[in-house]
Amino acid sequence: MRRGRSELHTLAGPYALDAVSGEDRARFERHLAHCESCGQEIRGLREATARIGVSAAVRPRPELKGQALRAAARTRQLPPVSRDAPAASPGWRGFLAGARGMAGRRAGLWPPRLAAALAAGLLVIAVTMGVLMVGAQHRLDTDQVRGRAIAAVLNASDVTMLTAKVTTGGTATILESRHEHSLVFTAARLRALPAGSSYELWLMGPEGTRSAGMLPASREGMIGPMVVSGLAAGDDVGLTVEPAGGAARPTSAMIMKLGLVP
Amino acid sequence: MTHNEGGPRRDPAAEPGRAAEPPTADLAVLLARVARGDQVAYEEVYDQLAGPVLGMVRRVVRDLAQSEEVMQEVLLELWRTASRFDRDKGSAASWVMTIAHRRAIDRVRSEQKSAERELRAASAQIDYDEVTETVEATLDRERVRRCMGSLTELQRESVTLAYYGSYTYDEVAGLLGVATGTVKTRMRDGLIRLRDCLGVD
Repeated sequence: MRRGRSELHTLAGPYALDAVSGEDRARFERHLAHCESCGQEIRGLREATARIGVSAAVRPRPELKGQALRAAARTRQLPPVSRDAPAASPGWRGFLAGARGMAGRRAGLWPPRLAAALAAGLLVIAVTMGVLMVGAQHRLDTDQVRGRAIAAVLNASDVTMLTAKVTTGGTATILESRHEHSLVFTAARLRALPAGSSYELWLMGPEGTRSAGMLPASREGMIGPMVVSGLAAGDDVGLTVEPAGGAARPTSAMIMKLGLVP
Repeated sequence: MTHNEGGPRRDPAAEPGRAAEPPTADLAVLLARVARGDQVAYEEVYDQLAGPVLGMVRRVVRDLAQSEEVMQEVLLELWRTASRFDRDKGSAASWVMTIAHRRAIDRVRSEQKSAERELRAASAQIDYDEVTETVEATLDRERVRRCMGSLTELQRESVTLAYYGSYTYDEVAGLLGVATGTVKTRMRDGLIRLRDCLGVD
């Protein structure tokens, strides 16, 4: 082992404690990129320092939580790093390659806009929202955030309503606002799924196929309203049936697909 | 430990059949959901991590208002970058605490360059007892305290001054009056001993 390398290696402790200058940090990180055993060691040391930190836990003021949830609701998320990142293991890469093929078979836009039904749709959503709010006071913070996000879409100057049939039964309705980069999803009369399966909503477009979340449980035949943020240009919306915990990529055929307003 | 208070996640050991599952296993799954924009999952992540992040940041930054600010920044960062979490590189808790610690350190170091240094010194006298700690934190703190006790004095001082004092290793060497090479190895040896004692890999 060269002298410079072993000298660098002793920086592992200070590095894991963030007790290095910017210059040392950069030097050590260059070293880390080529030293697999160092990466493993840093990982273990980081777990140890994290435990020191976790052991100091305190209870934050409760009102900070609402602020944090609201901030998140209006903050756009970063997409995953490049799929061809060298760090990805072969298994993961194969998995992604399959998903890529699927996203490539993107079908054309389909169902029509039903502007006339907009008012009726808004009413249904308002009523459902009211029921959800009354029934779930313990989730007040979440509901407030969701309620506000829904209101933002409903009140946007460019709100558009779209509906589509779900091939396995039922209909889906979407209120979309490009301006808010968000949509509100509701569905009615969807087929009940066996235990262990759930409906999962997807955004599909030039930024790739991303899960928009699992559909919440049906209440009296109605699902939602569910807010999906982070809408990108060219996105379509799709629905699949997935294992209850959700999947990272669609694993079954689309049972509903809606082309959003470009 | 009361069962009523904790909720399902708080005390996995009390549930038959789930005894070996640490709460951090949950966190990685939740982060994957957060990466897909799931706000309900984000709320759960917040519940799990806000306390640890704030507690650690507060020990580093000292001032409560600033610590809360750093905590909120870190948790928003988590929302934004959840898709970048790579479980091959460590646990979710360690990822988040690393981000949080760096932020806290950056805050302190940038401030030390500014005129606010005096203010920080004045606010260092906070009484930590005013903040209620959680059950997990108490257990965890007990375990960490025991393991820290297994370190040599120089190892322990080096680790603590670096982690909570936000000093670089050469500053620690200056404070303790030992060679920088010695401090570097003591920090590494100390963390290795701590890691083994805590049973993390």
